[in-house]
Amino acid sequence: MTTSIAPKAEYLKAQSLLGKRLNEKYGTDRKVEFDKLNEPVIWAKSPEDAKMLFRSFMLDESSKMDFLSDITAYDNKDREDGEKRFVLVYQQYSTTLHVRVRIKCLIDENEQALTLTDLFNGANWLEREVFDMFGISFKGHPNMRRILMDERFSGHPLRKEYPIKQREPFKDNIAFHLGANPMEIDTSITEGEEK
Amino acid sequence: MAAHVQDPHQLKDFYNPNVLINLGPSHPAMHGTLRVMCRVNGETIEDANCEIGYLHRAIEKLGEDKTYHQWMVYTDRLNYCSALNNNIAYAMAVENVMNITVTERCMYIRVMCMELSRIIDHIICVAINALDLGAMTVFWLLYHWREEAYTMIESMCGMRLTTTYARIGGMSYDIPDTLRQRLWKFCEELPKALDEVEGLLTSNRIWIDRTRGVGVVSREDALKYSITGPCLRASGVDHDLRRDRPYYIYPELDFDVVVGSNGDVYDRYLVRLEEMRQSVRILKQVNDKMPSGPLWVNDKRVQIPEKLDVYNKMEVLIHHFKIFMEGIDVPKGEAFTCVEGPNGELGFYVVSRGGPKAWRMRVKSPSFMLFQNFEASVKGGKIPDAVAHLGSVNIIAGELDR
Repeated sequence: MTTSIAPKAEYLKAQSLLGKRLNEKYGTDRKVEFDKLNEPVIWAKSPEDAKMLFRSFMLDESSKMDFLSDITAYDNKDREDGEKRFVLVYQQYSTTLHVRVRIKCLIDENEQALTLTDLFNGANWLEREVFDMFGISFKGHPNMRRILMDERFSGHPLRKEYPIKQREPFKDNIAFHLGANPMEIDTSITEGEEK
Repeated sequence: MAAHVQDPHQLKDFYNPNVLINLGPSHPAMHGTLRVMCRVNGETIEDANCEIGYLHRAIEKLGEDKTYHQWMVYTDRLNYCSALNNNIAYAMAVENVMNITVTERCMYIRVMCMELSRIIDHIICVAINALDLGAMTVFWLLYHWREEAYTMIESMCGMRLTTTYARIGGMSYDIPDTLRQRLWKFCEELPKALDEVEGLLTSNRIWIDRTRGVGVVSREDALKYSITGPCLRASGVDHDLRRDRPYYIYPELDFDVVVGSNGDVYDRYLVRLEEMRQSVRILKQVNDKMPSGPLWVNDKRVQIPEKLDVYNKMEVLIHHFKIFMEGIDVPKGEAFTCVEGPNGELGFYVVSRGGPKAWRMRVKSPSFMLFQNFEASVKGGKIPDAVAHLGSVNIIAGELDR
């Protein structure tokens, strides 16, 4: 296997150890794969299981996955990876061992994933982006709104059936609000001005 | 003489603890199309909310629609201040899925390009940050060297800003012979300019007052918000993918990872300044060690044939036609390749299900995480502090919205 990774990189030892350990510990009833960089990919059984795995990798002394790299998803319309519509992908990273692990989870259109915002503040926007682009919503998320597209936008652009050249122009802007922390406007001061 | 207020309603905004101030999306201090809505009480920002998506161009969707080769030009438009870095990171991601290692000469050229674009990006960040705070001389001093770097890039690939220099399996052109001398001069002269900048800013009372203790991101916050790159290091986390997950020839090169301690604007400025010096160090070594040999990997799947052969041999012409019209056939598989970009961890998550187009092309951009944290860490400061903070994290809208 030849890649861009420097052949004598120190983390490679930790990576192969981790792969073995994950296979022993979690691989009995879950599928553990290795990608083209030989990084472990573990398939969670359900969205709940994915969060459980995420948390246990985080707390596990031997893996020390203390960093959330990315949350994303991809369309599984051709059902090549399983019987559900989407695959949710979590990328975890360890700042001490410098290894990555990827948690994947099959999820259907009407299913809800569990939010990671209680573990990592950085998950907030990433989950909003997944919601915006794929329509997978997250249970317990404080501010489940679209992030890149307009809030009135219909459809989810990264689903395979969404046409590449579809446009949806809006004539006006919607009022900007402070999102998760709607402010309490004290109207007593401004009341005289409204007329 | 104080103005006499006739109507008490004129003072309502003065006493209103809920005044909304809109920063951006098109304002010179907002670095592209960023928008922040702040609720200020007096002068203090009590709440802030960022709105993004003004520069959303569906680059990830296009990644599924264009061939791997065609999509290269879109990577230029991610972080347009360091296009070379994106080109190379993308080429690397596709090569990893195809299990290709580029030649040694190609590795050296790529490392050189990445460090050059890191210097350009840091120059932009430091110079514009100082410009926002009123120190214009720094801008003139550093932008001369940015222009020189762009001229060098132009001599390599014919483009200045949107380079499209890398190709899957190699580079579009070899470097010119004059580059060695030019790069040597650049490495000699840039540190002098950096010394001058340091003399102007590092112990400047006004600069220190405007930046120290402003926009503080603590070590814990930086990790919780998944910040990477210079901003993470300024917060005191010793983390650099070039050293921790080395790719290409970085293990053979001698450089230090710069770590700050306070995580404020001042530390971010210091980290960026020192990183430029480290990049110059790397450039010097790369310039000295630049090996000769083939530029392209000897792999028929990706190798773009020589133009002369394309015009004279029929098989080569067909091969050329196949690569450009049909695209490269990437086998089934996936990889998440990250490089240490100028702003942080730039990742390409490529999912291939065979064929010339990606099934999923995910761009993990560092600016996205930085802007998310901006929303939280700007609270408690004042509007001018927000401008200083925004300049120091170097958020690029093209990369933020993709």
